[in-house]
Amino acid sequence: MTARDNRVQTILWVDLSDGCTRLEALPEEWTRKYLGCRGVNARLLFDEVQAGTDPLGPDNVLFFGTGPMDGLPIGMGRMSVACKSPRGTVAEGSFGGFFGPELRRAGIDYLAIRGQADHPVYLYIEDEKAEIRDASHLWGLKTNETDTALRRELSDPDVQLRYIGPAAENLVHASPIFGNLNNSGGRAGCGEVMASKRLKAIAVRGSKGIRVADYDAFLEAYKVFRQRLDLATSRDMWTPVWSTYGAPVLSRLFTDIGNLMTRNASEMRWDYDKATRISCENYLDNYVTKAKACWCCPWTACQKLHEIKSGKYQGFKGGNYWAGQPVTFGSLIDNDDLDLILVLSGLCNQYGLDIFHVGYTLSWAMECFENGLLTKADTDGLELRFGCPDKEGLIDLIRKIAMREGFGDLLAKGCAEASRIVEQGSERFCLSVKGQELEGIAERNLYMVALGIALSEVGPDHTRWYPPYPCNPSLISKEELAELGIDLDLRLAFQGRNPEQKGRLLRWFTISRAIVESMPSCVFLVRDTLGLDMRPWWNLFKAATGIEFDYPEFVMAGERLLNLDRAFNIREGYRRADDHPPIRMATEDVPYFGYRKLDAAVFDPMLDEYYEANGWSVATSIPTRKKLEELGLGDVAGEFDALGIEVE
Amino acid sequence: MKQLELRYVAHVTTITRILQEDYQTEASTIRELLDELDARYGGLRGLFVNPDTGQLNLNTMIYYSDPGKIPVSVIDLDHQVVDGGTITFW
Repeated sequence: MTARDNRVQTILWVDLSDGCTRLEALPEEWTRKYLGCRGVNARLLFDEVQAGTDPLGPDNVLFFGTGPMDGLPIGMGRMSVACKSPRGTVAEGSFGGFFGPELRRAGIDYLAIRGQADHPVYLYIEDEKAEIRDASHLWGLKTNETDTALRRELSDPDVQLRYIGPAAENLVHASPIFGNLNNSGGRAGCGEVMASKRLKAIAVRGSKGIRVADYDAFLEAYKVFRQRLDLATSRDMWTPVWSTYGAPVLSRLFTDIGNLMTRNASEMRWDYDKATRISCENYLDNYVTKAKACWCCPWTACQKLHEIKSGKYQGFKGGNYWAGQPVTFGSLIDNDDLDLILVLSGLCNQYGLDIFHVGYTLSWAMECFENGLLTKADTDGLELRFGCPDKEGLIDLIRKIAMREGFGDLLAKGCAEASRIVEQGSERFCLSVKGQELEGIAERNLYMVALGIALSEVGPDHTRWYPPYPCNPSLISKEELAELGIDLDLRLAFQGRNPEQKGRLLRWFTISRAIVESMPSCVFLVRDTLGLDMRPWWNLFKAATGIEFDYPEFVMAGERLLNLDRAFNIREGYRRADDHPPIRMATEDVPYFGYRKLDAAVFDPMLDEYYEANGWSVATSIPTRKKLEELGLGDVAGEFDALGIEVE
Repeated sequence: MKQLELRYVAHVTTITRILQEDYQTEASTIRELLDELDARYGGLRGLFVNPDTGQLNLNTMIYYSDPGKIPVSVIDLDHQVVDGGTITFW
C-alpha cells in the first residue's frame, strides 16, 4: 500500500459534457489558508462559479470535498458537498459515513463536476482513475434501490456510493444527495444540481494509505481531544446524553421550555405524553435493531437502523432518528404516532427528499387548510389537518411530492414558492429563510439560534454555528478566553433571551464550526470546550499535515471561509435585507411562555453587532475592503470592484 | 406530604428504568429528594452530585417547575420543592 502525503490535496476535474477528466494537485498553500473540505470547497466555488451562473446549467460546478483529517481517526468520514443552489445562494452540506475516506484512499481529495451529460451516467472511481458509465438503467430508481443495484452491478458490497433519488431527478426543491441509504447532505439543492448534470451516482474504491506527518504528536493531540469526550472525564452535561441517546432526546425536554415547534410553530409547547410517545427512549427500546457509526467514531454511534415490529407498518425498515424527525413529522404536524414518523421520514430517504422541506411544507399546508386557504379541491381530496387524520393520504403525499403529481407538485416547490402561488397571506405560515425551510431548532427562546438561522449563507443550517447551548461557562476562565482571542463574557453571551453579545458569540461559533468542518470532523464532537478552545484541533491538524502555523493563523482560516461564503452570496445580490427570521418569528410572541417576537427592536441590534464584529458593512452586510485584505482575500474585493459592487 | 411529578430523560432512565412517575415525598429540597430517590434507584445521587464538592455535577442537568410555571434549571441543590412541582432529571 502506498501512502499519500497529507499536505498537498488533489482534485479530480470531471466534465460531463465532453467526458474529459483530469487530476491535479491544489496549491500547497491552500491547505494552510483554507485547511480542507468545506474551506477549500468555498474557495473553489467562488473561483469556478461566476456571478449569475444558471444553477441548473452546465456551468454550475458540483464539488465534493474531503480534507486532511479524512481517513484518520479524527475525520469521522465527514465530507462537504457544495455548488450554487437553485435558489441562488451557496449550497453546502456535509456527510458522514465512509465515502470521504475511500475517496482519499483512491488518491483524490476533491471532485469537481461540471457540464451536463446527454444521458444519465454514473461516475466510477478506482485509485485515481475515473470512468463515466451509463446509468440509464438506474435513473428513476429510489435511493435504496440504487444502492442495491450498484453494489450488485459492481460485485462489490463495500464500494462507497453517493446517489440521488427520484425527487432530485424531478428537480424537487431542496433535494439533497444520499449515501449509506439513510444519510443525506447538501439540502440546499445539491441533489437537484447533480440531477441537472444527469449524474445519478458516484462509486469509489481506493487502496492507498494516508500518511500522518508526525505520528507521536498526533497521538498526543488525539488523547487530549478524546479526554474531552469521555463519559468519565467530560465536563459537559450534553456528553452523556448525546453520546448514548442522540439528538431526539430533546423533544421531551423542549416541550417544557417552549422550544418545541408545534402545529407549524403556532405553539411552542406540545402535550408531554405525546412527546413521550415519540421520544428517543421509546425509539431505542422498541424500534432500533442496530447502531451504526461513521468512520472511526469515538462515541457510541449516533446513527441507528430500525424496524417497525408490529402494527400496520410492520416490517418497514429505515435508519436514523435525530432531532429533525420528531419535530418535522411529529410536533410540527401534531403527530404522536412514532410508526408514522418513521414511515414518512423513511419514504423521504427512499425518494431522495429533504425531510425539512417536506415537514415544514406539510405543516405550512396544514395551517393553510385549517384556515381555509387550501381546501380539499386543492389537496386532491386529502383532509390535510394537524393531527394527521388521514395517515394513508399523507404517506401517499410523500410519493406525490417526489413525483410532482397533483397537489404534490405545489409542495414540491417548497413552502416559500408555494406561498407565493397560494397568496391570501399564506406567507405568514411559511417558516423559511432565503427560500429554505427551517430545521427544527426554535428561535424565540434562544436568540443566538434566531440570529444564526437568519445569517446562515445556505439558508437555515444549525450545523454551521452549533451549539447554541453552552458548555458550562465555568469551564473556561476569562483569562483563558483572552488568551484565545475571544472577547466575550460567556455568562452574558449564553443567556438565551438577552440580545447582548449574541452577534459576537455567533461570529465565534461560526468561525469555530468552519474550522471543524474544514479539517474535517463531526458536529457532534464539539462538546466540552471544543467549540471555544480550538487548540486541540490545531494540534491535530499540525500533526497530521506537518504544516507549522501559529494559532491565530489557524483560526483565521475559519474566518476566511466565513467571508468567502458571504462574498459568494453578495456577488449573487444577497444583502442585509435577506438576513431575517421568518415572518411568524418576527411578528408573533410565543403563547404561554411569554417569549417575545423577534421584531426589529430585538433583532437589529444583534445583526448590527454581528456585522461589526466581522468587519462587514452594517448597512449592506458586504465585507469591507480592509477585512478582505487582512484575510488575504484582496482578489475578492477586486472582483466586487469589477462587478460594480460597492465595497467600503 | 408533597405530590411531585418526576421525569427521567435519556441516560437517567438506565438507572430508573421508567420515564416518569408521580411521587409523594416529605423532602423540601432537591438535595433531600435526591437522597430519597437514591435509596430507590441506586446510583442516582452519584449521577447528579459530585461526591468531592457536594455540588451538582457539571455534566448533568435538573429542571424544576412550580405548578403552572415555566421550568428553570436548578443550580443549587438546596432549591426548594413544593407540592405539585415537576422535576426533570437528565
